[in-house]
This record gives sequence, structure tokens and C-alpha cells, in this order.
Amino acid sequence: MAETSDPRPDGSGVSPSFLRDARGLQRKLVEEYYARLGSPDRSRPVAYMLVGGNLAEIVRSFGYEVVFPEIVALNCAIKHQSLDNILHAESMGYGLDVCGYVKNDLGLQDRDGRTSFGQIPRPDLLVCSFSGCYVYVKWWEALAESYGVPLFMFDVPYMREEHPRKEDIDYLVSQLWDLIHLLEKRTGRAFDMDALKGMLVESRRAEDGWVDFLRAGRLRPSPIEAYFESIFYMFPINVLRGTREAADFYGVVNEEVRARVRDRTYPLPEEKVRVLVEGVPPYTNYRTFWDFFRKWGAVSVVATYPKVGGLFDRGFRHDPARPFESIAEYSLGAYVNQSWPLRRKIIADYVREYRADAAIIHGIKSCRSFTAGQGDLRDWLNRDQGLPTLYIESDHEDPRYFAPAQIKNRMDAFFESLEQRRAVGAAGGPATA
Amino acid sequence: MADLLAIQDPPPERADAVEGDRVELAADFREFGDAHSIEEILRLAREVLGDPTFPTARAWRKAGGRAVGCFPVYTPQEIVHSFGLLPVALSGGGENLEISRADAALGSFLCSISKSTLEAALTGLLEPFDAYLFPYICDVSRNLEGIFSRVLPSRPSHMLHLPQNFTSPSAIPFLVAEYRSLIAKLERLTDRPFSPEQLGRSIELFNEQRALVARLAALQRDAPGKIGLVEYYLLRRLGGLLPREVHIPLLRRALAEIERRERKNKDAIPILLVGPFCEQPTLDLLQLIEDVGCYVVGDELQMLHHWCPSIVPGPDPLESLATAYLRTPVDIGVRLTPTTKGAAIQARLDAARAQGVVFLTAKFCEPALEDVVLYRRALEHRRVPYLHMEFEEKSTTYEQARLQLETFVESILFD
Repeated sequence: MAETSDPRPDGSGVSPSFLRDARGLQRKLVEEYYARLGSPDRSRPVAYMLVGGNLAEIVRSFGYEVVFPEIVALNCAIKHQSLDNILHAESMGYGLDVCGYVKNDLGLQDRDGRTSFGQIPRPDLLVCSFSGCYVYVKWWEALAESYGVPLFMFDVPYMREEHPRKEDIDYLVSQLWDLIHLLEKRTGRAFDMDALKGMLVESRRAEDGWVDFLRAGRLRPSPIEAYFESIFYMFPINVLRGTREAADFYGVVNEEVRARVRDRTYPLPEEKVRVLVEGVPPYTNYRTFWDFFRKWGAVSVVATYPKVGGLFDRGFRHDPARPFESIAEYSLGAYVNQSWPLRRKIIADYVREYRADAAIIHGIKSCRSFTAGQGDLRDWLNRDQGLPTLYIESDHEDPRYFAPAQIKNRMDAFFESLEQRRAVGAAGGPATA
Repeated sequence: MADLLAIQDPPPERADAVEGDRVELAADFREFGDAHSIEEILRLAREVLGDPTFPTARAWRKAGGRAVGCFPVYTPQEIVHSFGLLPVALSGGGENLEISRADAALGSFLCSISKSTLEAALTGLLEPFDAYLFPYICDVSRNLEGIFSRVLPSRPSHMLHLPQNFTSPSAIPFLVAEYRSLIAKLERLTDRPFSPEQLGRSIELFNEQRALVARLAALQRDAPGKIGLVEYYLLRRLGGLLPREVHIPLLRRALAEIERRERKNKDAIPILLVGPFCEQPTLDLLQLIEDVGCYVVGDELQMLHHWCPSIVPGPDPLESLATAYLRTPVDIGVRLTPTTKGAAIQARLDAARAQGVVFLTAKFCEPALEDVVLYRRALEHRRVPYLHMEFEEKSTTYEQARLQLETFVESILFD
């Protein structure tokens, strides 16, 4: 999702040039986005929003620029700028156990929003899509008190059944209208349904392209790295959804994926292990963590984290013919807004559809929403599903919690044991899972 | 972890994680009916709290009753009661439960109450319950319900989404729909239909309890010399453990005795106690706060009983319940603040005529930890003294806490 340097430092597998067009285009989109936000000539008001269940199309239809503090936070982390912000937030009173995204953002805000990739503007409006993470409420309360700007609470019911109730949709749609009335009042503009529908057309096109990309992981060998590479390419679907640029972007990406298949050029020279990855990455040590997989020929073919912005691969699409209902349905579909039984079902389907050989779960110290219960998930995968699974833990934002030697040791031992099982199986030994 | 999965349903009597003896109560709770002095009531309360095998729920089952474990902070227990079920507060394992299995299932950086509640599930201590109710008060409580659904598959659990939008007119029908989803499960559990009339009667009963608890809180606020903090806490804590029909006369007797006391207020500092709305501090820690010279004149302990004022059942009692929850502007970490945190803490200080604030937050409790920063900022601006301490269920040494509290009190006395 963020800008990184070339993920292929050793030159094996996919050529760096192979990713040039998509990477170059993404870099351009990221730079343009932050340049727009930081421009001294910016005339548009700014709304802060969260990724999960966000209402970007509605807010943009009123001329707002949208800032996603989670995205800013992970950009800070991947560029090794998060620790300073976190330490500053701790000096403001935020404890060690508070979410790293929150601390990065509030620390950054208190330091005037300056980053190496752009100036983050102050908000004129806070739209809290409470979808899958309770910390969102606390975070937005803090921003509202700091800036004295209105906070609109978009309360998204937690998903405990696969399909929402009528009352869930009614509640959501009613809140969407409340937001529209607020936006009309604040901007003095009338709501433009045609403008919204036009954005939803582009959203849908981007979602189609994004899903095509993700589903390439079903091929064997996989032409994509479904965790590290997908996270890189999440920026347009999460930040720019509803724009023509985001929709066009996935056309470029998928053209490259088709070329990879045609040329038999894959993420690694040999796909030895097909891995499902669950959890947020350690952004502060992104490449190091990726190397721990690559060393063993492990390619992630499917991952849950790229679905935090929406479960598009499970069939959902924004629909210009049903604008409000589809936005309401979208808001329910953030991955962490699904109950554990639903998350387990999604994962079981992924294992089957993507023919995963093993799973890696990366728990985040300061993210209870994603992480609380991942130990139980490991047990369920190992024992009920028969899928070898490793659970490791660090943090997404705070480099003090990433212990490379410990994580590498555990991953080495895990992948080594997988290799041994296969060797025994190939030699006619006892069958293993 | 092998053992973890071996327990898909709890064994009937398994409490090897428990230290100390079990408390056996009569099925009609006559011990509490017979307790005519505060001392007797408090002795019983201490025994019940010290036994993490849920003696009140076990006693209820002796007479053929069924019980529902309810996680903090707020759940519509009137609905549970209207089905003839006993709603029992799940307030964690306290000091007497060793955690051995829950760590592996939940992860490292989580609060004690989530771990001890799961530990109780994995070791059979929740056997007295037929169902479990979790409100979405934080991400951990929400996820805990999902784990319960796997480790105790034969016992229904329900996660209740309490709205965070308190101004939308649609929030009321939504919350009613949430309650109806819970009701559907309770109907299956009890094999009896929901009765709005019975719910109306349950609301009236809970109103009685709320009124008495409010009287107790007013006494604690206005005449703190008459009632000790631990007394106050235990009387309220019993309210979530006993049948309401037992707790109400007990509380009435206790109040009468306390109100008759002729004790003068000491020269203590009136403070608000903010933070322990979910996980509960030990009795020793509460006692310590009073021992060093503080009167707690406003608090967040056992919020269930004073979340809403009296509820008028109305023609649709479900709508009345939902309206009461949504329209009562409670300032607490588990709901969007009705104003701002700064304004809210000032209003609470004024209402209680408190001179300072002690933040007592559970380790790893993110909602409380994030609120503290905003509260502190407002208090510093108004030059109101405060102290922040963290606690866990199994606190054993209090030297550090005593030192902090004594310094806090002295700083106010000699200011």
C-alpha cells in the first residue's frame, strides 16, 4: 500500500522491470495524492475517515479531500518515521498498550502533521465509520477534542450472520442520509445523486480489477505475492476508490500479471510452499519480514489483511443502481467487522480455493481487533483443519516490538519442519497434513 | 494447546484452577434472607466473590433454574430475567483463578478479565451457565464471544451490538432488532415464547433495584462517612450475582441500617474513581484508596445498575429499554461521549463535589487508557489534581499503590 523500494533486491524470480509500469503508476498516484493534500493552494475541505466501511464516495461527491490517518500511519511506519510519532504520543500520555496507529497519528498531529511524503492537513470534518474496531471511536473522540470540528458517527453493526438483517440496512441508510444533510449544511451544496452514481461506477470497476488481481493467487504457481504485493497495491482501492485513476490502475496491474503467467515469471523461482497469511504486517520491518518467507520458497497465495477495506473477493460490489443500499452493505464488509465464526469460514474457504499448504498468523501487540483470538484460530487451523500454522507476534507500527532473530528462528523452524514432512511423505513415510 | 481443544464442552465439575474452598448456598438463597446485619451480608458477599465457581448460579440451578452469564458493562438483563433465567454478571476471575490456558488462545497483550473469563470457560467453571451474553464494549469482549462459540459450542452465546450513534432516530428500531435477535436465542433455550407483559414486570423489578442502588450511591456521595467503599462496592456487586428478588430486600435492609448510622464524615478528600467499569479491582485496592484518606463520591464500579434511571415500560417494553439505553447520556469509556471528555469530567466533578480524580484503569484496557489522556488534559487545564494507576485482577502487593495514593492525598492536603 505504501511506497517501498524494489521488493526484489536479490534479482531472482520476477525482474524488477516486470513491475515497473504498475509500480511507477502507483508511485505517481501516491505522490499526487499527498501533493494535493499538502498543497498551499488547496481549496477543498478535508474529511478524516477510516478505511474499514468508509464513505469516501459520498464525502468526495461534496468536494472533500479525504485523509485516512491509518494509511498515513502505515506510510510513516514503512518509511521508519513512526517511532518518533509514537514516542511523542507517549509523552502526551498515551500508554504503551495503546494502538500504534492511534499513537502515530496523534503524535504526528501534535507535531504539525509534517512527514517526508507530505504535509497532512487538519480536518474540517471527522467521519467515524465504526466498522470492526472499537478504537476508532476513541481515536476520533481525541481528534474531535483536539480540533474542535464535528464528528459524525457512522455506526456499523458487527456481522454475526453472513447476511445483514433488514434493520441493519435501514439503520445504515438512515445514517447515510443524516451524513448527507450534514454535508449539505456544511458545504452549502445540494446533494448530487448523479455525481455519486458516477463515482460508484468507478468504484465497481476498481473492485472488479482488484478482485481479478487477488484471484490470480489461485493459479499454481501463483503469479502474485498475495500478502506483501497485495498490501502494496491496496493504496488505490482503499484511498482512491471512486476515481477513474484507481479503476484504471488495476487494468495496468492485471496486464502485468497476465504477462507474468505468459512468460512464466513468478514471485519466486520455485514456489515451494503456498501460504495463507492472517494479520496486519509489521510495517516497520516489511522487507525483513518478507525475506523470512522468501528464504524458504514460501509464497503467500491468499491473505486476510488486504480485505480490511472490504470483502470484494466474496462478491460484494458497489452498485450505482442501488447506491445507498450498496454503500450500506459495503460498510458491513470490512474483514475485522466479521465475527470469529465468519472469519473462520472465510479462512477455511481460502485454504480450499487457493490450495494453501500452511498458514502464518501475525499477531499485533496493539491491535486487539485483529489479534484477540488468533491463538484460538491457530489451534483451529492446526487441529480442526489440519493445516500447519504458525503464530508470531510483533507490532504494525512500533519497531520496538519487532524481534527479528526470534521471529526468524520461529519461521525457520516452521518451514524446516514442513520441508521434513514433505520429504518423509515423498519417501513413502506416514502421511501428514 | 492440546488440552485447549480437548475441552470442546466443559466437564461437569472441573475447577482445578481455583484456589480455596467452594461456597455452597441454599437453592432459595436463605442465607441472604437470614442475614440481618451489614456484617453478615458483607461476610457472605466476600465468600461469594472469593469463589470463582459462581456459587449463586450453582445455587439457582439446584432448584432447576437456568442462568445466563453476562459480560460487562451493560446488557439488557431485564430481557433475560423475563424468560425466568437468572442473569449473572461475569466480572472476571478475581484473585483466586490461575490463568494457564487462556493466554495461548487470546494472545499476550490483553486484559485480565478477558483471560480469566476464557480460562473459566476452558476449565469448566462456567458450567452453571446455559448461555452467555457479550455486549460490544471493546474489541476484546467482541472477539471473546467468537471464541466462546467454538470452545463451548453446545452453550449459546450472543454478541450484542450496542449502537454508538446516539442521535439517529433509527438507532432505536435497530437496537430493538438487536434485542429481538437475543430473544430468538432465549426462546430456543427456554422453549417458551417471549412475553412483553413479563418483560414489563421485569423492568419494574429492575427499576426497584435501580432506585435502591441510586439511594446507595447518593449516600456514598453525600454522607461518605456512613458507608465504607468496600461495603458500598460489595452491596452493589451482589446485585449482579443474586436473583433480583433476593437482592432488593437485602439492599433495603442494608440501606436502612446504613442510614441509621451516626457517623460523621472524616477529613478525607472527596474524589471520583474513574476507569474500573469492566475489569474489577481487588477489594484490598479499594480499601487502600479509603485508608489513605479518600472518599469516593463518584465512580464507575458496577455500572449496570445505574446506567439508566427508572424505565417506564410503555406499550412496547423493548422500545422502552432501547430508548433508555440510547437516550441516557452516560460518560464512560465504552460509548461515544455525549459531549466532550473535558466537559464530561467537569460535570461529574461538579455533580459529586469532588476535589480530585483517581484513574484506576485495568492493564491493557484500551478504551480507559485512551480516555485518561483527554480527561487529564481537561483536569490540568482546570488545575484539578489527579492520579493514574493501573491494576490487574491478581494484584498481590500494594506498596507502590499505597505510596502513589499517599503522595496524591498529601499533595492535595498541603496544597
